[in-house]
Amino acid sequence: MTNARDRVVFIYSHAMHMPTNHLAKIQKFYRTRRRMPSYREVAALMGYKSSNAAYKLVGRLAQKGVLARGADGRILPARLFGAVSVLGAVEAGFPSPAEEELQDTMSLDEYLIKNREATFLLKVSGDSMKDAGIMPGDLVVVERGPVPRDGDIVVAEVDHAWTMKRFRKSGKRVWLEAANPKYRSIVPAQELTISAVVRAVVRKYV
Amino acid sequence: MMSLTPLTLHSYPRAILHIDGDAFFASCEQARTPALKGKPVVTGKERGIAASMSYEAKARGVTRGMPLGAIRRVCPEVIILPSDYETYSLLSKRFFAIVRRITPAVEEYSVDECFADLTGLRRPLRMSYEAMCLQIQSDLFRELGVSFSLGLAPSKVLAKVGSKWKKPSGFTAIPGRRAHEYLSALPLEKVWGIGSQTTAYLEKFGLYTALDFARKEEAWVKAHLTKPHYEIWQELRGQSVMPVVIQEKETYQSISKVKTFRPSSSDRAFVFSQLSRNVENACIKARRYNLAAKQISFFLRTHDFRHSGAEIVLSRASAFPNEIVGAISAPFDELYWEGARYRATGVVLSHLEDASIKQHDLFGATLRVEKIARLFESVDVLDKKYGKHTVHLASSAAAEHYRTHLPDQSYREEHFFRGETARRHIAIPLLAGEVR
Repeated sequence: MTNARDRVVFIYSHAMHMPTNHLAKIQKFYRTRRRMPSYREVAALMGYKSSNAAYKLVGRLAQKGVLARGADGRILPARLFGAVSVLGAVEAGFPSPAEEELQDTMSLDEYLIKNREATFLLKVSGDSMKDAGIMPGDLVVVERGPVPRDGDIVVAEVDHAWTMKRFRKSGKRVWLEAANPKYRSIVPAQELTISAVVRAVVRKYV
Repeated sequence: MMSLTPLTLHSYPRAILHIDGDAFFASCEQARTPALKGKPVVTGKERGIAASMSYEAKARGVTRGMPLGAIRRVCPEVIILPSDYETYSLLSKRFFAIVRRITPAVEEYSVDECFADLTGLRRPLRMSYEAMCLQIQSDLFRELGVSFSLGLAPSKVLAKVGSKWKKPSGFTAIPGRRAHEYLSALPLEKVWGIGSQTTAYLEKFGLYTALDFARKEEAWVKAHLTKPHYEIWQELRGQSVMPVVIQEKETYQSISKVKTFRPSSSDRAFVFSQLSRNVENACIKARRYNLAAKQISFFLRTHDFRHSGAEIVLSRASAFPNEIVGAISAPFDELYWEGARYRATGVVLSHLEDASIKQHDLFGATLRVEKIARLFESVDVLDKKYGKHTVHLASSAAAEHYRTHLPDQSYREEHFFRGETARRHIAIPLLAGEVR
């Protein structure tokens, strides 16, 4: 369990977001799952075969003061985001608790968007992804550029038009799957251009 | 033998990168609409002339500024689109943000061009200068879908030569000791900052290529040319003397707003409303930078590109459109020629002063000015909340109506999400076209 008094301030720094950076992977894990990874999960994140290698890495990060090990040996966040807690300015009396709490919140933009520069919107017109909960008229937040993984919903360029489908990959075989039995899977004849990966769907009712 | 001697022995005493968008506006359109890829695309429909042409259109002979009729004659299969400046600006900001991942020293030179200073970053980034450039180029293309051409050199002028050397999607590195190889075949007028007048002047001394000029002795250059050209001479020789200016523009010498309307009009009230709207736009910008103009000039352009204009000096600097529109209405009436067909109006605010410095006058105008200032403070608040021109002058009403009933609407203007309005969209560009 993390201590309720641990404070996390999201500070954007490019050095922390280098793809090779171990810390960045743990930060991302923490940000998306809202908990620290286990040793086995650290190993999976880094692509290590053994949890022992993960244990050593955590030891190094703990020495730097970025992580800590709890009494039960579990990984705890320490100064994970390189920042100390920021409290409301105190001159007399107590800091306003409301102000303090708000410093840890994120906007809906931050929640939905990871790489701001590569993010685009798309208005859905077809019903080929309806069983995945994506309906005609929905606003879809997509990110250009990342390498898609099996199961990701992607936007691909097929016959000079966008198509949104689930990306499937098994061994060397690659195909696009609709989430609607009315549509057949698309097996690309030659190369398949995946332009973007779907990150979020927004539907506004009023 | 002389042409083999390098201009300098250093490769990158400074490492300056110039990045230039390839047919930027047309590329933005092709990036969001797959159906446009590989096809001749031209933007600028709403102005009636080509603003940007895709490489496919350039190959068929379409040039910038070409009227739409001429474009259709040389290239019948052309796709002509109205400009969507909102989307281009959003992508332009992202362009600079992606370059700033490598270096904070970025000069935003124009909407589709920037300089970046990479000097000293090899060790911290553990990358060669060339690798940094290629990373920026591939990130730009992968994330924006738009291609850029890059030039790496020890100076800005040489970096510009590099980015033009190979287009589109080119990358040309010109280390100082190899600059002479690139300059020997480069005509002088292709050098950034050397115009047709200077070219003609230098030709009289037998200088035809950039290398001819770069090899001239320093004393001669100083004696025959002015400082800006002496700086170009230094930069061509691989000495960086023009700094990469990284601070954003904080102030302006002048603010100008020009707008073309289509079809051209001989309706006096409509033409005046266009001018009035330009004044409002210019004033909004002036107030944003806390400036006020002492001098106003405006012009009217007819469909056959004849111009008429006037200049007005105000007794007191102003950034309030009601005052400026009032001041130009009499000269407008004098210039306006019944029977002419007008295609554009424009206004320039100049002699700009800091608006916070107030001068009291003898005739009690100060009080009135403060009232107007308070009024426009409120207008700016409303515009910020509901979009520009939410509150506008009655004299701009016809132009306002024309704008919202424009026949040439861009994809973004035609496609809203629930809750978006014609004036305010989500600040994220939209991928366009049918999604199958």
